[in-house]
Amino acid sequence: MTLSTFFALRRAPLIFGGVAACMLGGCIQVKAPDKPIEINLNVKVQQEVVVRLQQDAKDLIQNNPELFPQ
Amino acid sequence: MTKGKIFLGAALAVGVVLIAGGVVSSRASAQTPAVSAAIADGSVGEQSDGYLGVNGSVSADVRSGVEAINIKRRAAYTDLAAKRGVTVSDMAAATGCQTLAGRVKQGQAYRIASGPWQTKGAGAIALPDYCATAN
Repeated sequence: MTLSTFFALRRAPLIFGGVAACMLGGCIQVKAPDKPIEINLNVKVQQEVVVRLQQDAKDLIQNNPELFPQ
Repeated sequence: MTKGKIFLGAALAVGVVLIAGGVVSSRASAQTPAVSAAIADGSVGEQSDGYLGVNGSVSADVRSGVEAINIKRRAAYTDLAAKRGVTVSDMAAATGCQTLAGRVKQGQAYRIASGPWQTKGAGAIALPDYCATAN
């Protein structure tokens, strides 16, 4: 018996104990989702673009009154 | 030799643009009061697309004044759109939000998208959804 198999055998009861505890429901099951996780950042970017453009639009109107007669 | 030709061509082009610009602006300045009067009586109004529109029939002077203003607006929108990396129509629509929110006065005409011309009442104009942050 080599040294490594000796240690493997000594650990065996520990591993079996862990498996048994899971079977009894003591483990938290982590399941990989079937679909990829999507994080949608478009909404925020879109919102920022709109806000920025609104400021540009305000400035444009203010600085060019001849283009925006009332 | 070739460089000289290119330079001459560029100089000519700049000259033509300057002259054309001068003609357009001098005409537009004469027409602006007519356009203002038309806006006041509701025959010309702001549109959500960022341009002025004609509501019904107007004089040739008013019509060409509106066209001149819209050409200049389009140039300004194109400039800003390039700076911000957005489309010209997005920039124009963002400006449309502002004109509808703040420039159109009670009794004046306005139009949203290709909808009918409407007259502004006492309340604020119901803006398109994309104008959510127009204030």
